[in-house]
Amino acid sequence: MIPVVIPADLWEGEIEGAVSAWLFADGDAVRAGDLIAEVMVEKTSFDVTAPAAGILRIRVPAEQPFKRGSIIAAIA
Amino acid sequence: MTATATILPNRTRRNLTIAKAMAEAIAQEMRRDDSVLVLGEDIAALGGVFGNTRGLLDEFGPARVRDTPISETGFIGAAVGMAAVGLRPVVELMFVDFFGVCMDAIYNLAAKNCYFSGGQSPVPLVLMTSVGGGYGDAGQHSQCLYGTFAHLPGMKVVVPSNAHDAKGLMIRAIRDDNPVIFMFHKALQGMGWLGTVQGSITDVPEDAYEIPFGQAAICRAGNDICIVSLGAGVHLALDAAQSLGEEGIAAEVVDLRTLVPLDRATIIASTAKTGRLLVVDEDYQSFGVSGEIIASVVESGVALKAPPRRIAFPDIPIPFSPALEHPALPSAAKIVATARQIVRAGR
Repeated sequence: MIPVVIPADLWEGEIEGAVSAWLFADGDAVRAGDLIAEVMVEKTSFDVTAPAAGILRIRVPAEQPFKRGSIIAAIA
Repeated sequence: MTATATILPNRTRRNLTIAKAMAEAIAQEMRRDDSVLVLGEDIAALGGVFGNTRGLLDEFGPARVRDTPISETGFIGAAVGMAAVGLRPVVELMFVDFFGVCMDAIYNLAAKNCYFSGGQSPVPLVLMTSVGGGYGDAGQHSQCLYGTFAHLPGMKVVVPSNAHDAKGLMIRAIRDDNPVIFMFHKALQGMGWLGTVQGSITDVPEDAYEIPFGQAAICRAGNDICIVSLGAGVHLALDAAQSLGEEGIAAEVVDLRTLVPLDRATIIASTAKTGRLLVVDEDYQSFGVSGEIIASVVESGVALKAPPRRIAFPDIPIPFSPALEHPALPSAAKIVATARQIVRAGR
């Protein structure tokens, strides 16, 4: 399992982000580099790409807040 | 050997939000044609409050991607003037609700100049604007106003329901010599704070492609009732069709995609096949899209098994309170209940 981690330096401070859109469903096959999610922090959007090829396992559903550095998914 | 071959696309699947699909369409047209430029409030540095111009400033610079002051009267008028002298501006009216202060430039100048000049002075403008409610933004930030724009001659009106269509319709809109009002529903943009309808995120080809105006899409086939909708309503209709299917009612769902031109042929053919019609429209009920569609079907003389029905927003200002707003909006539950009544009435 390769974790999909939100980098701890993606934004500053203790504010929380959330996945605004999962672009693949849990259990979908993805390729390394595929755009798999968009993360919103306040009104800024970040792209999240797959770190490896495999099956996407979503850990944090859309619109559920998390802190920077969190694991939001895994690639099995 | 198997009897049926599996057909694989000659490319890998790529899912995008409508916001990204719009930005990609605009970027591809800007690369192709130097006369295409973008302007509006917060569309440059921020990338648009709805994400649909993200990345454009970095690639094309501030001369072609311009943040404007908060004066729709000024910058919509400027965009109409730019289009009249040969540029192809894509201008954002952040919320369609704000049309009041810039409507003269839109419906009296942009919409009519081509006709007044005998075709010598077209206005190739794209006005993209967010529509729709459901997230508690009250009566001046939640309207659809589809009928308001579709009613006035001289403008084309586009309402995508998914990312694939949004890209193809945007490219078609930019290449069109007429003013095009591109109305994108906030619930479908893929922006978390507005909620995201998962069905709006679809596979989008990387190449530039056009979706012709005036061609509705049949998103789900069925023989018992035709449900016609547009924008976010398409997804409510699809959810309802799924539930109806489980109780033995096969609903056909028609996504209009464009209001002007309106694909009456597809609506009439679908209603002729099913004998029943339900229109789902988040715009105000009276004098609008739902009435026009029902009138078009009735005028065609198609034999109906039951009176046509509609689910639209009641003729009231949109409430701020979710407890008041949500019951006023179309919903899958309302569609299921109404479709059931229509089918039973027609037996």
